Amino acid sequence: MKKILSVMLVLCISSVLLFAGGTSEKAAVAEETAEIVPDKTVTGNIMIYTSIYEDIVTMMDDALAEKFPNCNIEFFQGGTGNIQTKVAGEMATGKLGCDMMLVAEPAYSLELDEEGFLHKYLSPNRTNLRFDYDKDGAWYPVRVCNMVLAYNPEMYKPSDLATSYKDFAADSALKGYISMGNPLTSGTTMAAAAALSEKYGFGYFDQLGKQQVMVESGSTALAKLETGECKELMILEESVLKKREEEGSSISVIYPDDGVILIPSTVMTVEGAKSANNNIASCEKVTDWLLSEEGQRFIVKGWMHSVLKGWNSGDKIPYDSISTDDLIKKDMGLDWVRCYKQRTEIREAFEKSVSLSK
Amino acid sequence: MRDSRVATGDKRSYFDIKWLFIIGIVAFLVVFEVFPMVYMFIKSFFPEKSFSLASYKKTYGYELNRISLRNTLVSAFGTMILGTLIAFPLAWLVGRTNLYCRKFFRGLCVMTYMVPPYVGAMAWSRLLNPNVGIVNVFIRRLFHLSMKTGPFDIYTIPGMIWVLTSFYYPYAFITISRAMEKMDPSLEEASRISGASSWTTLRTITLPMMTPSIIAGALLVFVSAASAYGIPSIIGANAKVKIPTVTTRIIDYVGLGVDGLSDAMSLAVFLMLLANLVLYISTFVVGKRKYITVSGKSTRPNTVDLGRFRVLFTVLMFVFAFIMIVLPFVTVGLTSVTKNLGKSVLEEGNFTTMHWSKIFTRKDVILSVKNSLLYAVISASFGIVVSVVMANLLERTTIKGRRIPDFLITVGSGTPSVVIALGLIMTMRGQFGLNLYNTLWIMIIAYLIKYLMMGMRTVVSAMSQIHVSLEECSRISGAGWFRTTMKITVPLIAPSIAAGWFLIFIPTFYELSMSTLLYSKDTQVIGYKLHYYWTYTSQQQASAIAFGILLFIVILNSILNKLTKGEFSI
Repeated sequence: MKKILSVMLVLCISSVLLFAGGTSEKAAVAEETAEIVPDKTVTGNIMIYTSIYEDIVTMMDDALAEKFPNCNIEFFQGGTGNIQTKVAGEMATGKLGCDMMLVAEPAYSLELDEEGFLHKYLSPNRTNLRFDYDKDGAWYPVRVCNMVLAYNPEMYKPSDLATSYKDFAADSALKGYISMGNPLTSGTTMAAAAALSEKYGFGYFDQLGKQQVMVESGSTALAKLETGECKELMILEESVLKKREEEGSSISVIYPDDGVILIPSTVMTVEGAKSANNNIASCEKVTDWLLSEEGQRFIVKGWMHSVLKGWNSGDKIPYDSISTDDLIKKDMGLDWVRCYKQRTEIREAFEKSVSLSK
Repeated sequence: MRDSRVATGDKRSYFDIKWLFIIGIVAFLVVFEVFPMVYMFIKSFFPEKSFSLASYKKTYGYELNRISLRNTLVSAFGTMILGTLIAFPLAWLVGRTNLYCRKFFRGLCVMTYMVPPYVGAMAWSRLLNPNVGIVNVFIRRLFHLSMKTGPFDIYTIPGMIWVLTSFYYPYAFITISRAMEKMDPSLEEASRISGASSWTTLRTITLPMMTPSIIAGALLVFVSAASAYGIPSIIGANAKVKIPTVTTRIIDYVGLGVDGLSDAMSLAVFLMLLANLVLYISTFVVGKRKYITVSGKSTRPNTVDLGRFRVLFTVLMFVFAFIMIVLPFVTVGLTSVTKNLGKSVLEEGNFTTMHWSKIFTRKDVILSVKNSLLYAVISASFGIVVSVVMANLLERTTIKGRRIPDFLITVGSGTPSVVIALGLIMTMRGQFGLNLYNTLWIMIIAYLIKYLMMGMRTVVSAMSQIHVSLEECSRISGAGWFRTTMKITVPLIAPSIAAGWFLIFIPTFYELSMSTLLYSKDTQVIGYKLHYYWTYTSQQQASAIAFGILLFIVILNSILNKLTKGEFSI
């Protein structure tokens, strides 16, 4: 009996310590929210699924609370793959657990729209967008991710490495020393695979297979770049910029000669009856805010490029990046309809070439 | 509690409270395991609301999927063999011999069970990646080798088996060592009195008597390795010839959205069939013989004198502990305090505590830890009650159909975590009358389905080695089932119950795959947080979380061990 009580006591003490511990965290939003004008007409509840970095989500959450004080907005944050898996399970039941999504890219939006899950709304801010959007208003680009090459200048010189996607897959000196994301679990990598196969054909994947490319998450790959296990990566620019700003890392970006791959990530509102809270009017207001200058400040702070016209320099572009105009000029271009319709074919071609290569 | 007798006219009927427990357990399994699995299984044959085998033909006709089946079987079998070959001698050495520092080694042997397995993959890829692995670079320099890669490559099937073994052999070790502690030493004494050497006694007495526990432990290792996702996802993706497994393919398919769900289900059926096969082999082999090792007579621990081999075995244990435990954990710990992973932590300016301070001042991390602790305690406590009842049902009754709940529990354990979670998402959102989505209960239910077998096998194995005469004495004296269980059976197998509780608590505490699908804003857990930081944020921050988990579990285990003088712990 004494022993059982001792065990219970230890567990209780552990629980109390944990429940009593921890400091609350206040995101550094004071500066960002100083000029926000509240809109008290927006009410109810909104659940937003997003793959934006958690720190940025925290700031946006606080800013949205300032902007819409009478609306309870909650974020469900996770990796794109995790969010898509969750949504897949929910779609099978006919109803999603969210009202809005800030995740993935246009191909995913096309899929959801085709399945009848998206609400159509023509935002007045759409005229300020410099990227394509759905003409019926089913989705808008809210941030721009940028697939580039990265290397570690403390280990290798850029002259020793590939400066184009073509050489990334062809340079034998890089064999066994390159890495990229998994197109099956990463929407942006899927988009990149679509763009590269569009430009170079499926033979590009064969070359990646011969190069023995490692397939893994960006965070893992960046660590390998630091240790020298990898010489070069195909990775999102925002991952590199984040590491440079937060950790003072020297890992650098190579903007490939044959083009960067710009991937607009979208904002979508779930059709009322299939959403968690059926709060369409409030979702539309939040969409307007995200596409406004107020909302886009957080996108840029999150190391991603804005979707607004004229945001090209200074604090209107991500830390340490080049102007958005220059990126658009370098953009390889991508057929989103092909990316969606031929997704299975592209995926299987990649798998056969990379996973089954000998 | 006495059996209650109800007079109904001239007839008397008996009500046994254990039936309430058994019916409750079966109802739980049917509602939360069988129904979702059947629903998904049927949906895989009716993808477009009409019967079709197209999904199965497509899935199993795809070369990559067939390769993943082969890889899963090979890696799980290899892990089972290697893991058991390591676990049995370890359990014997720390449990039955006069090895120096036995208690220390005993605690060390189960340490890899206390952290998420994919942390091991992370550590071993830093140590043995062929390009710049720490150990590889050290060996190349030490022996002045000219090769630019190797000599070891962790990104191979043998490498995967190595990492899987290092994190799953404790399952076998815990099962075997607990049963070994309860073994009647008089059998071994009789052997030695008759002139047999320690080695002959081990081979002809100890080993055969421990067969049920060895098999139970080996099978735990097999199903765990076959269902593992974290280690294959890291090791396999970096191999020159990629090493997909069934679980990584399932995650790939699930990540595709609705299109991939039927393929995922088709592959999941394979794992479920494998678990069934394992169960039948276990029942067939163990069912043939009786192994009574704990009798009604009092016993005292029997220590085998290693003689002139005592120092040698102790040195070998230190080497084993260094390679298997110290190296990977120190790697994780050092990663957590390193600024730039390309430089030594001892280099000026490269040691930092910023990752630790960042992680442990974040509200989301603190919330995750609280949630994990709460859910793990609830799951383990409920699970061990179920385990004791199930052990009683299997080992003390001859009720027809008593194997059915055992079978269901084994199937649950062999089912990939993501499939369990998906099944619950699809069926527990209110469309069938029960809405547990986005609550902590859906997570606890998922954990129980997945990890119940861990505790149950340990308890069943222990109970199979206790002779029924002890309980018969209690029943003859007038005690009912519940009182006999609490007063006789539970105290006899208390160490196994404690071990079983921990075997459920620990993987539940850091669980990832199911949590990733089932968590909501307020029910995030530390396993998910660890994987999130590892995948999307920073290796160093993820290492800080991993090391924090390890420290917490080790401290908890040590406190319990000390307070209860070694009675309650792994």
